[in-house]
Amino acid sequence: MTHPFKAVLAAAFFLIASAIAQKQLPPEGGAPKDFVLPQKTVATLPNGLTLTLVPYGEIPKVSISVVVRAGNLNEAADQVWLADVLGDLMKEGTTTRSAAQVAQDAAGMGGNVNVNVGMDVTTISGDVLSEEAPQFIRLLGEIVRHPLLPGSELARIINDKVRELSVSRSQPGPLALEEFRRLLYPNHPYGRVFPTQEMLKGYTIDEVRKFYAANFGAQRTAIFVAGMFDKSDVAQAVQDAFGDWVQGPAIFVDVPKPTTRQSFGLVERPGAPQSTIYFGIPVVNPSDKDYVKMVVTNSLLGGSFASRITSNIRERKGYTYSPYSQLSTRYRDAYWVEVADVGTDVTGAALKEIVGEIRRLQSEPPPEAELRGIQNYLAGTFVLQNSTRQGIIGQLAYLRLNELPDSYLTEYVKHVYAVTPADVQKMTQEYLRDKDMTLVIVGDKKKVEDQIKDYEKPVPEKQ
Amino acid sequence: MMTRRSFGLLGVALVALLMTTAEAAEKGFQVPVEYVKLDNGLKVVLSPDHTAPTVVVAVYYNIGFRIEPKDRTGFAHLFEHMMFQGSENLGKMEFIRLVQRNGGVLNGSTRFDFTNYFEILPSNKLETALWAEADRMKGLNITQENLTNQQGVVMNEVRVNVLNQPYGGFPWLDMPQVANSNWYNAHNFYGDLKDLEAATLGDVQQFFRTYYAPNNAALVVVGDFDPPEGLALVKKYFGGIPAVAQPPKPDLTEPRQEAEKRVTKVDTLANRPAIAIAYHMPDRNTPEYYAMGLLDEILLQGDDSRLRQQLVQKKGYTGSVDGGINLLGNMYDYDGPMLWMASMIHDKTVTADQILQAWDEVIDKVIQEPVDRATLDRALVKLRSDYYDQVGGYFGFGRADLLASFALFDNDPSRINGLEQHFAAVTPELIQKTAREYLRKGNRTILIIEPKQGS
Repeated sequence: MTHPFKAVLAAAFFLIASAIAQKQLPPEGGAPKDFVLPQKTVATLPNGLTLTLVPYGEIPKVSISVVVRAGNLNEAADQVWLADVLGDLMKEGTTTRSAAQVAQDAAGMGGNVNVNVGMDVTTISGDVLSEEAPQFIRLLGEIVRHPLLPGSELARIINDKVRELSVSRSQPGPLALEEFRRLLYPNHPYGRVFPTQEMLKGYTIDEVRKFYAANFGAQRTAIFVAGMFDKSDVAQAVQDAFGDWVQGPAIFVDVPKPTTRQSFGLVERPGAPQSTIYFGIPVVNPSDKDYVKMVVTNSLLGGSFASRITSNIRERKGYTYSPYSQLSTRYRDAYWVEVADVGTDVTGAALKEIVGEIRRLQSEPPPEAELRGIQNYLAGTFVLQNSTRQGIIGQLAYLRLNELPDSYLTEYVKHVYAVTPADVQKMTQEYLRDKDMTLVIVGDKKKVEDQIKDYEKPVPEKQ
Repeated sequence: MMTRRSFGLLGVALVALLMTTAEAAEKGFQVPVEYVKLDNGLKVVLSPDHTAPTVVVAVYYNIGFRIEPKDRTGFAHLFEHMMFQGSENLGKMEFIRLVQRNGGVLNGSTRFDFTNYFEILPSNKLETALWAEADRMKGLNITQENLTNQQGVVMNEVRVNVLNQPYGGFPWLDMPQVANSNWYNAHNFYGDLKDLEAATLGDVQQFFRTYYAPNNAALVVVGDFDPPEGLALVKKYFGGIPAVAQPPKPDLTEPRQEAEKRVTKVDTLANRPAIAIAYHMPDRNTPEYYAMGLLDEILLQGDDSRLRQQLVQKKGYTGSVDGGINLLGNMYDYDGPMLWMASMIHDKTVTADQILQAWDEVIDKVIQEPVDRATLDRALVKLRSDYYDQVGGYFGFGRADLLASFALFDNDPSRINGLEQHFAAVTPELIQKTAREYLRKGNRTILIIEPKQGS
């Protein structure tokens, strides 16, 4: 619950800077240094599990992640958050260590076991002191392969989940995400953000154990180790802890067919001082050859501080504090979305500006200099993304999930710089079709309705 | 002429680089620190790290929201936004554009005792970043239009973070206001919307002239650069900025709290009750302060912590207990009275008194008996592990934050390498003594959130 007071800032390329001749120009700086991606070693065990080792940095710590292709995607329509309940229960002890012992053992290594459940993968991970890497891998092996999944703790875990659900449903952001996903992915797990309380309360320990058995196994699992560590000790520990694991279930694939027509949802929040806006559409996913063009387009339009939409609705109009657009991706799936919390009285005005910026980019290519600035920004942040232990693991796990070759990373910067102004315009025309976008607003219905008449369409029935 | 004070010499870094990684791990990680004070009083800290070709430039001004003007609550934070609205050579938004088109990211934040501004860039752009930070240290060029725009942005910031959120200011913004009694520690740091609206261009200029002087700031560079070259650039761009006499710092002290305080706040957006418990901390850098750092690890941090084991695992009252020392930063980056605080959201079927009873069982134990050696050792390991990430993580910004704080508040950034010794010197007896005085009921404030609506 830490909330540093932050000034997230934005700039506008299109505003004419007051060109006063006497002004000093910023120094250019020196010649750029080469950035080489950290070297990795990959091994595949006979049971299908892969191990990726990346020696990195000078800090005596190591990050270890066990990434399993199991998540909310594997849930049936009446099993929403079953994967999350399993994730919480995995921390409740193994067949040989109690929950308290797992916690103490991890702490004694300078770490903590974290279980994170996503749509496509469940990640069991931690950061420990370098010399503890083999012991921590053995601990993770027990948790992943031999979780106790005690029935005695299920009622408490479910009660915690019910509370978490209740809190999420009182926040505007999660409500907007829920409605947006529901509209975008009808009849697919990606469209089911929250369960009902009744659904949660109905889960049994047998159902949880069955879900585990159906979705966990060696061939769905990849282990990533980054930081300072002894390579042969770590490889041996992985062999000991995971070498005799069964191959397990094959990877499960269920690619959604998201809505590509305009849809609209208004979620009532009486008296809300702001409207929470989600405005977006399905786009090319990371496996598509045009994806990097989409990345560049997003950064220029709304995905960076100096982007057009942020410059407009924050720095020119003052309608909002932290607007952003993003490319949200899952396996063979992606959407673009602009998210903004805007003053209730300027909801319509803010939407008009957002649509205006999209249309402007559809109708004319961006100036060369503006595009070059965005390309430099993406090249710079690429270095940052690949220069922390967790960042490196994140990038490699992303490659693996999306089945991308190493060249995706090694040639990423080159591909970013190959994007032309005409490409950006074309991507906007082809994919960011404002008339086909899904709009969700969480806000004060009475005050908002009149402002957004142009976007309103019949609201689909709740599932 | 400049005075040169060098606490940890550059040589330390060179030696560290020559060692193999295994040796470095054995000897413990040493942060290279070069400390220089310019003639105009600017504190400069240089710390090379060649892990990646990036560099962090961070400027910390010794003005936080504690000591903003009394009729202008929230002004220190509003002012932080104004630092991006135009200086002599960079118009509105040009600063951000400059950093971004050079491949970098940036931000600023306002805290209890400082306001910081930082950029993380490819290391060949060090000079560009230093020039830009110097430009806005020299002076601002703000229009009424830009002030009005940012007043709108900040009011939307307050709405999105506080007014339109259940548990919006809980406990980070609310607790200092009820636990402290000195106005400087106890006012609304985000500011009343009325005060924010009332701010004028004259206020902006006055605030800048008073506090944004080189002798009230620390400049830290961390990353892939050569310290002599970096220092030459710092002198080139910052050396000519004149010092300004600083006003005396107001008295920030809090009286010893004798009786427990209990405050209830109704939250119309929340649907579950919540409780926060806060204790006044021992003074910074005292033996008891380090003991509190260890108590925090033992009681509150991580899955093995006693309060989590009690309230989450054993009693099932909540899904998580969150908190620590200084919720707006860490136990090092402040300079005044501070709270150790924990909070949790719970069900209506459990009362605040039930939670407090379970809480007190844990607290009473550390008051009544010394902690065992194994628990203390585990706390030390957790601290060391966190420390490594602080000085090695966040692209170098974590290290910059500590170096800037120790330069500004202690005039000694080399403290970054001595922290572990202070924690290692803490005995079970000192922990018990600290718990007796600082975790007493009379030293605490309980803040209860009463929800207005259903399930």
